[in-house]
Amino acid sequence: MKPVDAGDTIIKEITINASAERIFDALTNPDERLKWWGAEGRYQGTHMESDLRPGGKWMARGIGPGGRSFLVHGEYRMIERPRLLVFTWLPDWDENASKSLVRFDVSESEGVTTVRVTHSGLMSESARAHHQGWPQVLAWLRAYIEAQVSA
Amino acid sequence: MAITRRKQQTVFRAIADPTRREILSLLRSGRRTVGEIAGNFRTSRPAISKHLRLLRSAGLVASRRDGTSRICELNAKPLLAVSDWLQDYSAFWDESLHNLKNHVEKKR
Repeated sequence: MKPVDAGDTIIKEITINASAERIFDALTNPDERLKWWGAEGRYQGTHMESDLRPGGKWMARGIGPGGRSFLVHGEYRMIERPRLLVFTWLPDWDENASKSLVRFDVSESEGVTTVRVTHSGLMSESARAHHQGWPQVLAWLRAYIEAQVSA
Repeated sequence: MAITRRKQQTVFRAIADPTRREILSLLRSGRRTVGEIAGNFRTSRPAISKHLRLLRSAGLVASRRDGTSRICELNAKPLLAVSDWLQDYSAFWDESLHNLKNHVEKKR
């Protein structure tokens, strides 16, 4: 797994020994998605609804950190079975939340499939009004962390 | 976790405002008195003081009295809350993709 975190975008990749069709099912079927989506002990999904068509809504409910319930919802933007799935992401646990975007790219080659998830617009989630300031803030942050590492 | 999240919110709120970001930007080049900071803005001095109070409560600015003036200094450390928050999401997707792999390969 190769994480590439650039700015306010998180990119993760994994290779899976299964067909793109099979993986696309796991991404889009609500019952299946609940089985893998989340992190153990935190963000455990319990219920999901999904209207799989462009503009269709999805929502997931579950148990978050500290046993608190959470809800994430959004809208499907692009569905190109089995290679592309794009949906918006709006969590209820952040009072300043606005939409971010999740994109799954699924590419199969000789029975091995690479799944890449790109979660973008994360920073605007917490600062919706002044998104243009974030590159600056992230540059400060980087400078600060680098100064600490070299100290 | 809840405390961290609240702290993150304070930092996010503090840096969401363009004037406050400009203040932080000024302080990055060195400490300044409140008067010097206010001199860079058209906004009234009480308004700047209010911004500075918010930045202080987020821990991003430290200040001390020096005679009749107050000197402000940048403290970038709370910005780490921003990276912690990104790390949360990063860990979330790492784990989700691993789970997806296990789930799909098991049922193949």
